[in-house]
Amino acid sequence: MSLKAIGRSIPQLESGSKVTGQGQYTHDVSLPGMLYACVLRSPHAAARIEGIDAEAARAMPGVACVITAADFSDNRYVNFGPAYADRYPMARDVVRFHGEEVAAVAAETPQQAWAAAQAIAVRYTAMPTATSLEAALAPDAPEIHPPKPNLPRNVAQLADARFGDVDKAMQSAVLSVEGSFRHGIVWPVCMETNATVARFDAASGELEVWCGTQAPFFVRKELAQVIGLPLGKIKVRSVLIGGGFGGKSQAPEQIAIAAMLAVRCGRPVKLVLSRDEEYLAGKTDHAKVMHLKTAVDADGNIVARFLEGLVDNGAYTHMGPVYVSAMRQRLLNLYRVQSAEYKAKLVYTNKVPGGSYRGMGAPGIIWALETQIDEIADKLGLDPVEYRKRIANRPGDVTQLGWKITSCALADCIQRAADLIGWEQKRGKLPKYRGIGIASMIHPSGSVLYPEGNFSNVALTAQPDGRFLIGTQTADAGTGQNTILAQLVADKLELPVELFDVLHMDTEQNPDDLGSAASRVTFVTGNAALNAGGDLLTEFKRRLAEDWSVSPDAIAYAGGIFAHPADASQNVGIDQLAQRYGSIRVEGHYAIDQARPDANGFGNYAVSYAFAAQAVEVEVDPETGHVRVLNVASVQDVGRVLNPTALEGQTYGGIMQGIGMALSEEVLFQDGKPVNRSLINYRVPRIADTPHIAVEFIETSEELGPFGAKAAGEPTINATIAAVANAVANAVGHRFHTLPITPEAVLAVLRAREPKPALKPYKRPYNAEVAAVRAAYPAMFPAMQKLGAALGHKRPRIGSFDLRQADNLQTALDTLGETANAAKLIGGGTDLLPGIRQGVYAPALLLSCAGLPGMRDIAIDGRGTISIGAAVTLSQLQNHAGIRQWLPGLYDAIGQIATLQVRNRATVAGDLCQEKRCWFFRSATPCYRFSGPSCPCYAVLGESRHHSIIGAGRCAAPCVSDLAPILTALGACLHVVGPQGNRVVMVEDLYVWAGETVLRRGEIITRIEIPAAAGAFHYEKYARWRGDFAESAAAVSLSGDRNCLRHVRISLGGVAPKPVRAMESENLLLGAGLSQARIRAAAEAAVHGALPLKDNHYKTTLTIAVVGRAIAAALDALPVEMAAE
Amino acid sequence: MKQPAPDNAATVMAFTVNGRDVSLSVRADITLAELLRDQLALTGTKIGCGSGECGACTVIVDGAAVPACITPALLVQGADIQTVEGLAIEDALHPLQRAFIDNGAFQCGFCTAGMLMSATALLKQNPHPSEADIRMALQGNICRCTGYVQILKAVQEAAR
Repeated sequence: MSLKAIGRSIPQLESGSKVTGQGQYTHDVSLPGMLYACVLRSPHAAARIEGIDAEAARAMPGVACVITAADFSDNRYVNFGPAYADRYPMARDVVRFHGEEVAAVAAETPQQAWAAAQAIAVRYTAMPTATSLEAALAPDAPEIHPPKPNLPRNVAQLADARFGDVDKAMQSAVLSVEGSFRHGIVWPVCMETNATVARFDAASGELEVWCGTQAPFFVRKELAQVIGLPLGKIKVRSVLIGGGFGGKSQAPEQIAIAAMLAVRCGRPVKLVLSRDEEYLAGKTDHAKVMHLKTAVDADGNIVARFLEGLVDNGAYTHMGPVYVSAMRQRLLNLYRVQSAEYKAKLVYTNKVPGGSYRGMGAPGIIWALETQIDEIADKLGLDPVEYRKRIANRPGDVTQLGWKITSCALADCIQRAADLIGWEQKRGKLPKYRGIGIASMIHPSGSVLYPEGNFSNVALTAQPDGRFLIGTQTADAGTGQNTILAQLVADKLELPVELFDVLHMDTEQNPDDLGSAASRVTFVTGNAALNAGGDLLTEFKRRLAEDWSVSPDAIAYAGGIFAHPADASQNVGIDQLAQRYGSIRVEGHYAIDQARPDANGFGNYAVSYAFAAQAVEVEVDPETGHVRVLNVASVQDVGRVLNPTALEGQTYGGIMQGIGMALSEEVLFQDGKPVNRSLINYRVPRIADTPHIAVEFIETSEELGPFGAKAAGEPTINATIAAVANAVANAVGHRFHTLPITPEAVLAVLRAREPKPALKPYKRPYNAEVAAVRAAYPAMFPAMQKLGAALGHKRPRIGSFDLRQADNLQTALDTLGETANAAKLIGGGTDLLPGIRQGVYAPALLLSCAGLPGMRDIAIDGRGTISIGAAVTLSQLQNHAGIRQWLPGLYDAIGQIATLQVRNRATVAGDLCQEKRCWFFRSATPCYRFSGPSCPCYAVLGESRHHSIIGAGRCAAPCVSDLAPILTALGACLHVVGPQGNRVVMVEDLYVWAGETVLRRGEIITRIEIPAAAGAFHYEKYARWRGDFAESAAAVSLSGDRNCLRHVRISLGGVAPKPVRAMESENLLLGAGLSQARIRAAAEAAVHGALPLKDNHYKTTLTIAVVGRAIAAALDALPVEMAAE
Repeated sequence: MKQPAPDNAATVMAFTVNGRDVSLSVRADITLAELLRDQLALTGTKIGCGSGECGACTVIVDGAAVPACITPALLVQGADIQTVEGLAIEDALHPLQRAFIDNGAFQCGFCTAGMLMSATALLKQNPHPSEADIRMALQGNICRCTGYVQILKAVQEAAR
């Protein structure tokens, strides 16, 4: 049989609908009579619910119904089985994490549902919380759940076992390395947020559900459990899914809530989670602490590994036990390991419950294991590549955990990855602060996940039109698995793949299947699909045999044709048969024929195992601490490659997600509440971060895999963190034991080797007072929080507003005059609209003045004075020909603000007037600036890497407007009109505090004027990703001779509540005899007077670098004729 | 607590979508993304974050790629708007659409409309962009599936 589809890059079957926008995702589903739902979530990490009063909400316009826990049956979610079932579909009596579902509303419009949810009065009594692993395990920790028999407080699972003969193995140990590794939580960040549309038909008792799930099987099981309907009455329908990555592999709570609302209302209900809700209550990865020891003999053979691990379960158990098991699996199976001791606890904390995320914890444990492999190689004087090849798993191995390694090309993967990255040429020969590293991974392929998870069924229907329909309950969340199934069956039937359609998810039309998780579909469902193909051929032969009165065995099938044994004229194409016999449907079945591992995890977990190695080259900026991945080489043993483009895509995507985990992604918490809830400061990789990635596959043939294939989805991410971390270690000579490896972590290490910069906080006398207050904060903070809760004002939240466009200035002033308290000027809306949702702004009226004369104009006079209308967009300003001519530095500067899409909307006045971006403020934390003077600043004790180092008093939010330092350095002024007349305000004097200006109510900025500049200008910015807000920025404007500057203005952004002038630095640069030493001194002087918080000392080093670079670049840009003066 | 705006807050506005003149009544508090999706049934434009941070909602307004989820609908009065639904002419796919398919430049497809619109605006202004130009133009579009490699390739191919 020649394979025509397998091994070819067949585009996704859904390609056409995805590129034209015609495809229907859950977000796009709209049913007649549909209501919209909104969920009310807990504002506490732990509290008793004393009462819920929804009467007012029920009486509000458009409200159809309100539900709470009382509406559901007494059943908990099944989740990981009865021993772990600890969660009701909505909070019952107690809330255990910030964001937990307390009540939900269905109403005629989303706005009405939102307004009604806000009107539900819930009385809470706050309870003590345990929001970290340490706090949850402390002797006096509050009990998050009632204790389980034989388990310590707040422990959901204990694992404790030895494998192999540890004592005997240790007798040959000559060397060991030991260390603790810690990483936090990452979010899957599927581009489509979780959403559900549910419809209940009371007459038939049938519930239909459209939702982006990876596992319709689990959705039905959980809905039957908590809604109380028979399984047969629940139907999951087919939709496109906007990403899964494990985040949609359980049955998320919003499915049950939408379903219950639909049952109660008797009308279809749509519930779409906002991105913010996704952050609060979507499924996350699990945080871990791993204390690991690796012992080796004189040859480097791993004689024993010891691991004590803690897995942060969050408030409820979803997939925590799998994370416990994933650590054990790598501990014993990555490389040849003679023995191991494994102890782990799955620990409850008052945080968002963990779910699953690509790799299921493997990337984290592999990072720890591979760090120690590198350390051992160092100690033994071995090359990391050679050493890894020596200890690599081999075909035929049976590990101490009972894994039977069949096909395995790990040693070849390691060598090839090393070759691709240029290991020989580069290792030890790269310039300073460049480094390369390598790591490997193992991943089960076709694993025995659940008691019911070992099987798959696939329906195959031959249709009268000559086409074939493959039906599966797995769900293609974008991986291309539908296409793979079509390719498999097409080649099985020797037909063009174009003849095949796939209906995924639909549980009414398709037979049961566990779903898309653990990279199982290709292997398990793929085999079922092949069997379905075989069954269809058998069925057709049976029927033809009857018609032809021959034995079925006598009928040959090839190339899509059934051949009559005697009369070739009767030969018939398979695509003709459904016309003859009617639609014919068969179901292919496949089951993994092996037992599940025992209670200690011992046993052959999967049919086969996938292997891979990744090598990474990084470059570290020693002045900013920024790690940039330059090159990645990934070589994977996935058995047979079924679809090269799809597999390469999986690999690129997995690697980039791994780079995110390694370097930037991290959920930051305050009292159990995630605070960096935006794609600005939760930093997923963007296109500028994509390095050169070389991907290759070593094709072993896996006997049991479909056409020889093995699992591929997760193997792509598993080795990435480890490879990046090993490369960083090679670049900077330090091994990081905490993820992500942030710029501040790198700078802390590099700075420890150098003299500390002089901060001279006494230069700002009020620092003494600030320092004293900060010192008292740990003692005062709880009382301040209580006081703030009692006295702090609640910012109003609005669900709606009016918007008007002024047609002349007087009307605008009048409108503002009449409604000054409730009106806000809108520029591009890029800050205002998100701010309204965050509760930062609550205007009744938005007034746009963009249409007024001059507001969108840029004018430059003959001397170079630039006048910019307030509503000029950043893109318009950047691309203005005159700007490039007169102030080229401004062109480059604006290119660093936000993203192009935002620059196309954002206006210059809007940029200047945008609110602070402090994550406490933006997450509506009742802080000093959000809720008033009775409240504390959370940055003093909380996550403060983003905050001010200079001039922060009671609020540490930094100025994030880029134009503020830029225009301050340029000496620009604002022309303002207002009820009390016109005035001119220097940008330097504009700010009272971050995001707060001296502009009075009713005043309007009309234009910005930049005086003619005779010299050079440069804006240097360090942001974590291009387009992010500055962590530190410096705008430098200067004129004069390169050796003798006459005029210097330096303004700093991102480090102080206002765009501060670095006057001392300016003075150091003025006058004759400018030298490198003076430039360095000027850069260092920029941080004189700084008083950093606990997490942002790095900003002092960073600011020195940024100012130094800005000065150097501005000097370089000085016109040559000036130098000749 | 403020109630949703009464219906009389709606304004009749006219604009062009994918070359078609449209005139309809629009509430003051909705965004361009909501207008397209809910009132015009152009659901190809996706909402990924609602804050202008992910780019899934990118559409072209008067030649510029903008996040529709933070663009108040009323502010596009009289504008010429292009969405993903307007890229293909009849059954003939736009070269970018073709290149995205051929290069596997999407997986889940949820960011694809935004990517295509950002890339379309780029190629209109700069028919032969460098790789750096492409990265700059697509920096506002997050894709969680592809790692961007095949997207870069697809845009380069479409520009050839």
